[in-house]
Amino acid sequence: MQYLLTEQQKARRGDFKTFVNQNVEPFAEKWDREQRLPESVIALLAKLGYLGCSLPTQNGGHGWDTVTFGLLNEALGRGSSSLNGVLTVQTMVSKALLKWGSVEQIRKWIPMLAQGEIIGAFALTEPGGGSDIHSLVTEFTDSRGDSLVLNGAKKWISCGQFASLFLVFGKLGDRSLACLVPRETPGLEVEPIHDLMGFRAAGLAKLTFNNVEVPPANVVGKPGFALSHIAPVGLHYGRISTACSALGLLRGCFEESVTWAATRKIGNQPLGDIGMIRSLIAEMGTDLEAGSFLCHSACRAADENLPEAFEKALMAKYFTSRAAVRAASDAVQIQGAAGCHASSSVSRFYRDAKIMEIIEGTTQIHEHLLGGIFLGQVRRSLQ
Amino acid sequence: MTNSSHAEEEKKVRETVTNFLLSSINIENLNDDDNLFASGIVNSLFAVQLMTFLEKIFVIELGMDDLDIENFKSVNATTAFVMRKKGWQKAEAGPS
Repeated sequence: MQYLLTEQQKARRGDFKTFVNQNVEPFAEKWDREQRLPESVIALLAKLGYLGCSLPTQNGGHGWDTVTFGLLNEALGRGSSSLNGVLTVQTMVSKALLKWGSVEQIRKWIPMLAQGEIIGAFALTEPGGGSDIHSLVTEFTDSRGDSLVLNGAKKWISCGQFASLFLVFGKLGDRSLACLVPRETPGLEVEPIHDLMGFRAAGLAKLTFNNVEVPPANVVGKPGFALSHIAPVGLHYGRISTACSALGLLRGCFEESVTWAATRKIGNQPLGDIGMIRSLIAEMGTDLEAGSFLCHSACRAADENLPEAFEKALMAKYFTSRAAVRAASDAVQIQGAAGCHASSSVSRFYRDAKIMEIIEGTTQIHEHLLGGIFLGQVRRSLQ
Repeated sequence: MTNSSHAEEEKKVRETVTNFLLSSINIENLNDDDNLFASGIVNSLFAVQLMTFLEKIFVIELGMDDLDIENFKSVNATTAFVMRKKGWQKAEAGPS
């Protein structure tokens, strides 16, 4: 897949790999065990401009293309899915705001998000519903026109534990609404969620809104368009980010497996000479190549602003997250008991991979959407 | 823009929009005033796919001020929206 990259993209990919080797991989297990990302590593992502890498330079970002953004997500995902989660949600909030925010909102918030001075979180999922975004119960009410009053709760919000700005989705009457809510707004409670099976250092939280007052100027876009236009822009980049992160996890499983199989011996023969092991590695390596192409295609389509970009992102995320689960299971199997211990990164990959099948749209939601898209294409061709 | 060139551009825009919609939504016949957002016709990605299509093909940029269902609810509405965004207005009638 390397031949599809420009020389600049290849160079940046090398930089990302070096960064992860030095600053992420040696510490990922500790972060997972402590269920916490140190502020220092998030600050390092910010200092390097990674958190705003895909945002325009005039807004404080690097202006990197989506292919490069994808390569960064892949590298970070190889090291720590939890850490990559910060880039995922930062980009979701930034892209949605950049597309649909007012001039004042963009001027106020985007540079801070681009520079990583603040961390954003995408507050869509609720305790009563995640997949069905149209069943939101978080409620905004209009209080004499001076402010909106927000009541409700959100759950499983990635990076909620340390985010400073929440993009909150709810209903104003029967119309969907998206609104920026700073963390310090009175009435907002943030409750950490611990003990997930994977993604343990991603800082998930439950948010409770008790008569939280927000100014109308914090509404993003217009009432009635939050779920049709605003959320999908954020979710699109969330899928690209997660697809590439899962690809990175898959790459980690593959690399760990081939190294193990090449060096571990059973009797006098390397493990990799055994047919059953080769089968697992063949599947893993081919999935890696296929996933790379799907991620690249999704990123290129986003760069070219193609309508089919959304479909390609769905396919990339659907494929790589499922492939990552298979690869992680096989990687643990190849390593045997060692793979079940925290001293091997594949044990963490196994737990993190399952999360990749659930965040940014479950596998089943992807199947529902993609199946409908493919069937619709055939039906129309038969008319 | 003369009236004849306006009519010509409008026809091209209408055809382009119609062809995209017929390739994107589950409907056998599409009339110019059919409500695109009526139940069951479009999926949850349709709105952003339409937005991306319009931006790409007509080289326009949509922002929050364009968020109005009246701009996208039918072929006629979308065509009129594109014509406005492109600044392709009909020539004013001259003094008699």
